Amino acid sequence: MSWLKKHIECVRQAADKWLNPENNVLQEAIRKTGDEGLFSRQDIEFQLSVLRENIQNNEIEQWVERAGLSDQKNAKDNKVLCLHAGNLPLVGFQTALGTILSGADYYGKLSRKDPYLLGSFLDGISKAGLDQHIQYTTDLSDFKGLQADKVIFAGSEESVPDVKAKVTDLNATKDEAKYIIRTAKFSIAYLEDWNESINQELVQAMLRYGGKGCRSVAVIVADFGLEEVKEELEEAIRRFWSENPQHLKPAPDVRYQYAYNEAVQRKQLWLKNFLIQESEDLPDTDFTVNWVQGGDEKVSKLKTKFGRKVQSVYTTGKEIAGIETEDLSTAQRPNLWWKPDGVDVIERLIK
Amino acid sequence: MMITPEEIFDTGIPFEKKALEVFEFQRNNNPVYQRFCQALGIGEIHSASEIPLLPIQAFKEIEVLTASENSKSKTQNLEFQSSGTSGMSRSRHLVPDPEVYRQSIIRGMKHFYELDDYVIWAYTPGYIENPNSSLIWMLNALIERETSGLSRFLDLDQPIDHKELDKVQKSEKKLMLFGAAFGLLDMLEKGETKLPKDSVILETGGMKTHRREITKAALHEKLASGFGLPKSQVHSEYGMAELLSQAYSREGEWFECVPWMKVSIRNPKNPMEEVEYGEEGLIGVMDLANLYSCSFILTGDKGLQRDDGKFQVLGRWNPENLRGCNFLIDQD
Repeated sequence: MSWLKKHIECVRQAADKWLNPENNVLQEAIRKTGDEGLFSRQDIEFQLSVLRENIQNNEIEQWVERAGLSDQKNAKDNKVLCLHAGNLPLVGFQTALGTILSGADYYGKLSRKDPYLLGSFLDGISKAGLDQHIQYTTDLSDFKGLQADKVIFAGSEESVPDVKAKVTDLNATKDEAKYIIRTAKFSIAYLEDWNESINQELVQAMLRYGGKGCRSVAVIVADFGLEEVKEELEEAIRRFWSENPQHLKPAPDVRYQYAYNEAVQRKQLWLKNFLIQESEDLPDTDFTVNWVQGGDEKVSKLKTKFGRKVQSVYTTGKEIAGIETEDLSTAQRPNLWWKPDGVDVIERLIK
Repeated sequence: MMITPEEIFDTGIPFEKKALEVFEFQRNNNPVYQRFCQALGIGEIHSASEIPLLPIQAFKEIEVLTASENSKSKTQNLEFQSSGTSGMSRSRHLVPDPEVYRQSIIRGMKHFYELDDYVIWAYTPGYIENPNSSLIWMLNALIERETSGLSRFLDLDQPIDHKELDKVQKSEKKLMLFGAAFGLLDMLEKGETKLPKDSVILETGGMKTHRREITKAALHEKLASGFGLPKSQVHSEYGMAELLSQAYSREGEWFECVPWMKVSIRNPKNPMEEVEYGEEGLIGVMDLANLYSCSFILTGDKGLQRDDGKFQVLGRWNPENLRGCNFLIDQD
């Protein structure tokens, strides 16, 4: 059996075992995460259901094929240091899985905000008999002297020098180490049509995980104004929250923005802990979504204006010239091979 | 009864008392500010620190005007606009009573300088070309009131005229030279000129252009050495189109307000809250001279303050780290 075939099988089995609802280790990780108030149980279960679906649909196998991983082309003997963010449950899973699939040695700095869930997966896979090193910690200084070949992390452009300085101080990377940095912050949804199913998809895309994460919609471009659909949207949001209570509440700056909008008579939908407002500005705070009335030219214009901060552009079927789009329904249900910042992690690691 | 402009400038009345009166006047007579306060659920207020600050961008989106029945609203037709590149929306500050601005400028300058001892030179575009610039209006007001006839707008693209400089020296007055940061540096490039030793340079900001960027300390160093003055005589002014009062720094990078203006540093995540001294945040301004617009403003500038009330301006506040997946060394 080829290395690749055996490797995929091993990873697949470990993932299946970990995702099994009767896996006590996973259940314990869910319990601890919930007990410590890190994420809501609904968001954790949702994320796990998406991953189960991904694995059941043979997406590990499809991802490997798409990335061109083979017995000859892989990242074996490379040390990859992954610095995981922790703003939503298992946000680092795809990076960890991709790194392990590539054949590289995985060194993960887990977020203190999400230490248990990803940790439970890594515990399982490190016992799966893979011929690569898998190690994780929540303290970056544990990787002192690591001499990694590559570093993957998500951050703003401003945070890059600090992170590099810290990693260099610890001698955790080789001098010529390559950095894969993710800077995307949010996604755009374009709506040319409106019905109950689009309404629900939009609400999921905006509100799941409290709207955190770069796949969440923070800008809506629609052929119609917010006022036209405000009532139906509010109803759908209330329904969503009755099943998925909002785990975190915004800081007072969101209420301040609402008051400002009232002052300048800007159209908005204020939901006490979430704000949707008509604005073409960069959406720079959590719990706020900007609504822009316009067509596909407006989408192109805003995508250019916001640049690398945009992760994905979702539509309800329409294609937009010059822009790669995804279906709105997949915003929070991406395929395993979705590309953060347009980069396939396996492809990049084996390059 | 409505607070009068004369009371605003009366240093015998405590700032706190005046601020509360202006607040009530504006909450009752400024529809924009009224809606803002209502939406925040602001009830009765007992101290100035409880007064909400209106985000400054309101001046870009709507007319921010306080007009009681007796005011001379809009009769003077004076409107200041912020500078900005093409395509950028500009702030509009309507000034129904220009006399309040004139008084704020002159009384403010007199608070910090023996204004009557100075000839005013402005190395800026002139008033005719810039009728909507609050800075140029201010310089014009200072030049017009000065009695020697030597105060003026200097010709741009020209070095200092030594004959004119001699005239100032012979007049027994001191020289106060105003200019934007890079304007003054450009002036030096045209020829270094040693100013009389008791001159004061007042740079009015503009630290960043599309071409260059420089720190305030480095700028003051260059200006001091170029004009042959000690650094202590290179001062700065902090003002903007949305404010009718200014703060001045005569001590390095620390700005001091005129008595009817107060600065506080606000928590960007909760602008109702002041941060600790020494902590960075958004600069909040209470400028009581803004009697007929809005006196309570949250700027987009980053700053910090020390316990004597003096503050530093640290550039624009950049909120871009707030959303998305972010690995932060200190938190993750």
